[in-house]
Amino acid sequence: MKRNELLLVAVLAAVVIGATAVLPPGVGAQSERGIPVEYTATADDLDSVTGNGWEEVQSVTVPLSSAGADVPSADDVTIEQMRAQAVRTDSRLYLRISWADPTRDTSEASVREFADGAAVQLPTDGDQQPPIAMGSRESPVNVWYWSGSGETEELFAGGPGTTTQFQQTTVATEHTYADGRWQVLFTRQLAPDEPNRTTVPSAADEETSVAFAVWNGSNMEVAGQKSASQWHRVAIGPAPPAYERVLWAVAGVAIVITTLVTIQGIRHTGGDGS
Amino acid sequence: MSTSDGGETIDIADDVDHQVAMVMDLNKCIGCQTCTIACKTNWTDGGGREYMYWNNVETKPGAGYPRDWEELGGGWDEEGDERTPGDLPAQEDYGAPWDFNHEQIMYEGSDEPLRPMDNAADWSPNWDEDEGAGEYPNSYYFYLPRICNHCTHPSCVEACPRSALYKREEDGIVLVDQDRCRGYRYCVEGCPYKKVYYNAMKKTSEKCIFCYPRIEGEGPDGEVRAPACAEDCPPQLRLVGYLDDEEGPIHKLVNEYEVAVRLHPEYRTEPNVYYIPPFAPPQHAADGETTDEDRIPREYLEELFGPAVNDALETIEREREKVNRGEDSEVMEMLTTTDTSDQYRLEVFDEA
Repeated sequence: MKRNELLLVAVLAAVVIGATAVLPPGVGAQSERGIPVEYTATADDLDSVTGNGWEEVQSVTVPLSSAGADVPSADDVTIEQMRAQAVRTDSRLYLRISWADPTRDTSEASVREFADGAAVQLPTDGDQQPPIAMGSRESPVNVWYWSGSGETEELFAGGPGTTTQFQQTTVATEHTYADGRWQVLFTRQLAPDEPNRTTVPSAADEETSVAFAVWNGSNMEVAGQKSASQWHRVAIGPAPPAYERVLWAVAGVAIVITTLVTIQGIRHTGGDGS
Repeated sequence: MSTSDGGETIDIADDVDHQVAMVMDLNKCIGCQTCTIACKTNWTDGGGREYMYWNNVETKPGAGYPRDWEELGGGWDEEGDERTPGDLPAQEDYGAPWDFNHEQIMYEGSDEPLRPMDNAADWSPNWDEDEGAGEYPNSYYFYLPRICNHCTHPSCVEACPRSALYKREEDGIVLVDQDRCRGYRYCVEGCPYKKVYYNAMKKTSEKCIFCYPRIEGEGPDGEVRAPACAEDCPPQLRLVGYLDDEEGPIHKLVNEYEVAVRLHPEYRTEPNVYYIPPFAPPQHAADGETTDEDRIPREYLEELFGPAVNDALETIEREREKVNRGEDSEVMEMLTTTDTSDQYRLEVFDEA
């Protein structure tokens, strides 16, 4: 009996410690609807949309729904979720998004053809969270818009209908379509030397937000007829320091031991009473 | 909206000073397409505009351009408050460029004449020219020239979420701000007359500009000129001016005599292009004798121009009889004048 209990304690402790060690650093952020931005000293294997390095980067599922804009058929959208991965170096942000879309629409060569599209929206002023629909006059947004036709635009908006293209774009994109899935990589300097551009924070105690939208061209989705996300916190940061993991492990083991001791105590008490 | 001295109300949009307008006399149109070509050579001969005809002439009854445009929706609901959704025409319904046998003739030694390839097209602008309707000997048709109506209550302007379309303050011309337009095409589907076009090369929408450089004096010889479609018309069927020019023929024909009527008033966009409805000889009986039956069914004209077409036709009939009796008719004078200063009154509001 005692041997069995000791074994149980050992197994539970091992599970707790193991889980703490294996748990990726961004999981906490994900539960807060955050997009973790992992730090890497060099992005050699991340500067391509199909770079091997992306396999190691945590991927967050982002739910999407109709943006509810005041345009015809605004609620007729088809894409319900996408995935996002983000990495930064000391100077540059790498953001890869992907979503399933069985129809690859790249042409706008005739009146009824619409290209697929994707957009990343950031507050122009990092510590604000503007209205989700294109910001507002007081709280404008930057939008990085990628079209399936291959074009990328860097946009500035201060409310619905005000989208204006920056003359110089500081965002580069690369895309691929395979197995019914788009992958688009956006890269940009964290702090471009241009007016009205969002500075992506580079320290864990700084905050900003990000939102996403995608369009399915086959469904004639355009403008406000889009699948959009809510604002998500951009969870900047290096991996949590080692002592944090140790503390979590100790706490876990303590809880297990306390539980077992309590059970044992109750059993003994019950035995005396019978 | 402005009110004339006579107490009649001239409806123009609230935020415009004056409203350009056109009256087209359908009894004069010979379907020659000179207006179409005048417009095309001025504005739409390339750069993604090849398929566009800002001015077109279609045979009625007929499917028109783009094909079946009257079935594509757009405009306003019965109260005129809510836009009704419209559809985008298919590219084929505008007509696509045809393939010709250039390859065979130029490079393969064929001695065939130059001709479209088999199955080069099954539709194009003016495809159903002169088909019309009715049975011999009572078949009928007429030509309907169409441009943007530069509406008083334009649903294309309302459709644009970016306010890229607007009515020009000085004269109510409806324009697309090419810098604001992002090619969403809500205006294309929102216009019930399908007179806004998507330019796939520029990725913006474009439309008739009422030849505004010409009416501003930036045309040939630096003179104020009417739109090219009007001035180049061989039978001179168009009157051009301002709806609120109370001394001009447009105001008189539209508001005073009510003989010029709107195409599809039920779309409720309040067009500023007006039509003198078409007359045709009465029907013939099997023995070749003339009957009292209208050749063009009155119901069909009502379908196109609304119930106001009845009074318009009757008034014109009365005015014609006056002239036949040797009396004066201001209506018939306005409709038959060859004085271009009466036909085109575009400088009446210019500051001296």
